[in-house]
Amino acid sequence: MPIAVQLDRLLYDRRMSLTELADRVGVTIANLSILKTGKARAMRFSTLDALCRELDCQPADLLVFEPGPADIEDEWI
Amino acid sequence: MRALGPGSVSSLLKIVLDVVYGLMLFVVGILVIAAIGALLFKIDPAIIKQMSINGMPGERLSQGPIIALLLTVVGFYVGGVTVVIHRLRQIFTTLTAGDPFHPDNVTRLRLIGLMLVTLELTGYVISVGQVWIFPNGTKEETSFSLSSWFSILVVFVLAEVFREGARLRREAELTI
Repeated sequence: MPIAVQLDRLLYDRRMSLTELADRVGVTIANLSILKTGKARAMRFSTLDALCRELDCQPADLLVFEPGPADIEDEWI
Repeated sequence: MRALGPGSVSSLLKIVLDVVYGLMLFVVGILVIAAIGALLFKIDPAIIKQMSINGMPGERLSQGPIIALLLTVVGFYVGGVTVVIHRLRQIFTTLTAGDPFHPDNVTRLRLIGLMLVTLELTGYVISVGQVWIFPNGTKEETSFSLSSWFSILVVFVLAEVFREGARLRREAELTI
């Protein structure tokens, strides 16, 4: 996925753990891990809103475009 | 009454399929044992003379390999039906669990479709082979069945519908 979520960097800058962020945002650690590892396919505006509010950042700080191959269609089925 | 989940119509059908699957396995086992027995043991000619299959005299049946061939073909056909029922059981297990768009259901439906094609073609081969092996026997007409091929196409279309459903489920899972 060419869109990367800079969750690691923002958490490090704010000295916040993933567990703490999960508690504050109301998203499970498993789902935050999916976001962090770039496996997520989409993000709800409500999630983006909560993340930006708790991390005190703009959406552009969270999401960056990294040129690369586009996501290919699922081959697992 | 609910269609999916525990205590639903799906769970009832799953039980029915379990019973049918057990019976089919039993029949396949009997056919395999009978086919091996026909090859290994000589059948009493007195019994054979009283037998007749499709107008074919019993003398012809006294040849062990021919009986074994007949039983193998029937066993192959019943085995194919058993595979279809087994895959249906697996699909209904996911329906009973309330998870119809399980990714494995796509493969299962495709396999069912392929097996139905094989069984349909086997039916044609049997009808041709019957005439070839037993020229004097009663001929059973195996005509082209439009409804059978329509059903097979429906199964393949359903497999694609399930593939799309599984893809959407995956998308939903990965939407945070």
